[in-house]
Amino acid sequence: MTNILEVRDIHTFIGQFHILEGVTVEVPEGSITVLLGRNGAGKTTTLKSILGLTPPSKGSVIFNEEEIQGEPTYRIASKGIGYVPEQRAIFRALSVEENLRIAERKKGELERRSDFIFGIFPDLKRLINLPGGNLSGGQQQMLAVARALVPDNELLLIDEPSEGLAPVIIQQMMEAIRQLSAHTTVLLVEQNFIMASQLADRYIIIETGRSVKSGMMADLVKDEESIRRYLGAG
Amino acid sequence: MTAFMKNHKTLLILVAITVVIFAAIIQGLEPKVWMSVLLSGITLASLYFLVASGLSLIFGLMDVLNFAHGVLFVLGAYVGLSTFMNPRLLFNTLPFFFIVVSGITISQHFGRYFWRLFQSKQVKKLLWWLLLIAALAIIAFGLRRFPIRAINAFNITAVGGAVSTAEAQEPLALMIQRISFLFLGGLTLGLLMAPKEHQEETPLRPVWQTLILTIVIAAISYLILFVRDPGEVFVLGLSPDLRFILALITGTTAGAIAGVAIEMGLIRPFYGSPVTQLVLTLGLSIAGIDLIEAVWGEEGNPPMQVPTLFSGSCRSGSIISWFSEHCQSIDVFGRAFPTYRLFIIFVGVIVFVAVGMLMRKTRIGMIIRAGVQDSEMVEALGINVRRVFTFVFALGSGLAAMGGVIAAPYLGVFPAMGSIFLIQAFISVVIGGMGSYVGAAIGTVILGLARAFGDHFVAAGIQLPFLETVIKGSPAIARASTVLIMAIVLLVRPAGIFGKKE
Repeated sequence: MTNILEVRDIHTFIGQFHILEGVTVEVPEGSITVLLGRNGAGKTTTLKSILGLTPPSKGSVIFNEEEIQGEPTYRIASKGIGYVPEQRAIFRALSVEENLRIAERKKGELERRSDFIFGIFPDLKRLINLPGGNLSGGQQQMLAVARALVPDNELLLIDEPSEGLAPVIIQQMMEAIRQLSAHTTVLLVEQNFIMASQLADRYIIIETGRSVKSGMMADLVKDEESIRRYLGAG
Repeated sequence: MTAFMKNHKTLLILVAITVVIFAAIIQGLEPKVWMSVLLSGITLASLYFLVASGLSLIFGLMDVLNFAHGVLFVLGAYVGLSTFMNPRLLFNTLPFFFIVVSGITISQHFGRYFWRLFQSKQVKKLLWWLLLIAALAIIAFGLRRFPIRAINAFNITAVGGAVSTAEAQEPLALMIQRISFLFLGGLTLGLLMAPKEHQEETPLRPVWQTLILTIVIAAISYLILFVRDPGEVFVLGLSPDLRFILALITGTTAGAIAGVAIEMGLIRPFYGSPVTQLVLTLGLSIAGIDLIEAVWGEEGNPPMQVPTLFSGSCRSGSIISWFSEHCQSIDVFGRAFPTYRLFIIFVGVIVFVAVGMLMRKTRIGMIIRAGVQDSEMVEALGINVRRVFTFVFALGSGLAAMGGVIAAPYLGVFPAMGSIFLIQAFISVVIGGMGSYVGAAIGTVILGLARAFGDHFVAAGIQLPFLETVIKGSPAIARASTVLIMAIVLLVRPAGIFGKKE
């Protein structure tokens, strides 16, 4: 299995703070890989560093065998990376349709992909003309994921899709991610270990800005010692 | 219906308050009086809006408080005035701009090969600064002792289109010499703007396009130079109406280009540090006015001639009869109201609708609305949001400059006009809510009406029911009323009427 994304030993500063002090991530094509770790460990910053929103000062990011670190964010994204940031990241002033339309990289893309998108998120279809700001938290989160599906992205970076959602909605969200992962590779950040363990094939644990452990999710689930040590949960 | 009321609660409350205040104010005033005061207020609002809309868009999208916006207003007024009365200035300076752009075009394309000659970052940095100094020096040398005031002089001596003597213009040979230096300056500037890093950045366009573009732009420069005499006679021979339209076009374009230059030169390198941007635009608001005074003089000019469409010496009975008579004023409940001011209102409304359509119906408008909330996310979708920033800067600057041209026949043209409008525009943007386009429009209307009715009551005095004598205020009270309104609005809604609580 080839890696669609390789992050090699990146270091990232935000202002004067050394947030990432050596993170290495490998994402095999077609997999769901999850970044685990405690609050403030640097998971979100890792995603932002891949996209160039907080460009790494050292190390390299390789997407489809091409070095992309240091390029402007819009160009990195255009290579086929979709981003679903932490909650409420949809455009409130835009209608649901406009929220999807704005993600088009080619004209008419939304129409071509609408069966796929509304197949995963049927609710969005009847909300299509509402302003994004009027949606519920769960609907907003679904819209944010749907938006990343409008262009034919090869990799999705999804940050905490379950955060602040009701358990029923989390189940729907998981189902949606499972469905879309048949078409695209996913790199996920998830605090909810139960959700992560059910979804992901592979994991990477980040602790205080370093990637400390990685492997198959199936192995981690059995490894209670590591779970306790790095994630502090059973 | 209830959904509409819920969604537009702010607007409805605002309308209710306005109606009540308005009804109270016009108590005891004759319709012809309050109607003409009302129209004067909307005229002012229209001009405020042309400045405020750009200010609000730029702040909303880029978080840049552009203090230089007033300069753009003045620039538009002066460029419009020059086009209208003394196109010689344009014919003698436009070739300079075109030739610099031509130089930049070609060397920006090939600059990447130049920078590849050097490896070390320090060397590149040093070289960059040396080249910047060199570019400025070459351009300054190319422009040395250019008799700009002499070319401009007749603005003051003769109003109405007399062609002054040819001595003010420099001979062609000297101009061509200047143009050669400026081309060199453009080449150096282009190197500064070329990508300096090794990464294989795809060129903007193929080589042959760059070459043709360079030649075409340079040719335009020479063409303008060679037709400067017949061109001047031609422009001055046009009817005042056509010249006014020409002035609108040149003034607005000049403002838009200046806006792009400000964004690229002063704002873009400092997106991480808003304080730097603030200080730079503040500095430019002072230096820019000095520059305008250096070119056009400190004295100011009397109002530009009103286009003949609005200057017939008669009074039309209604708007419909104005279309055939082109009178300077129109009958409003028995009182004459200048038609040119109605034209100002008309332009304000047209711009409001046009920009509103742009925001609602086009893709770039959608990107702007999204970017106002979260420009980082827009970029993460794969959209080059910096290019949209530049567009919005050009749009906002162009609108401000257009406001300047339109104000020229109404208020006259003088260097201080910008700061007056900038302050009022700032206040209306704050009242309406920073970053809200509709808010800016409503803020300007509130402000315009406050000024107009304030001025009216200051002049006419207020007869309070329990007093014998009429109270007369000083004009300062009318001016202060706008700040008072801002204070009240901010006490009730700290983010402005349409501001988002964040």
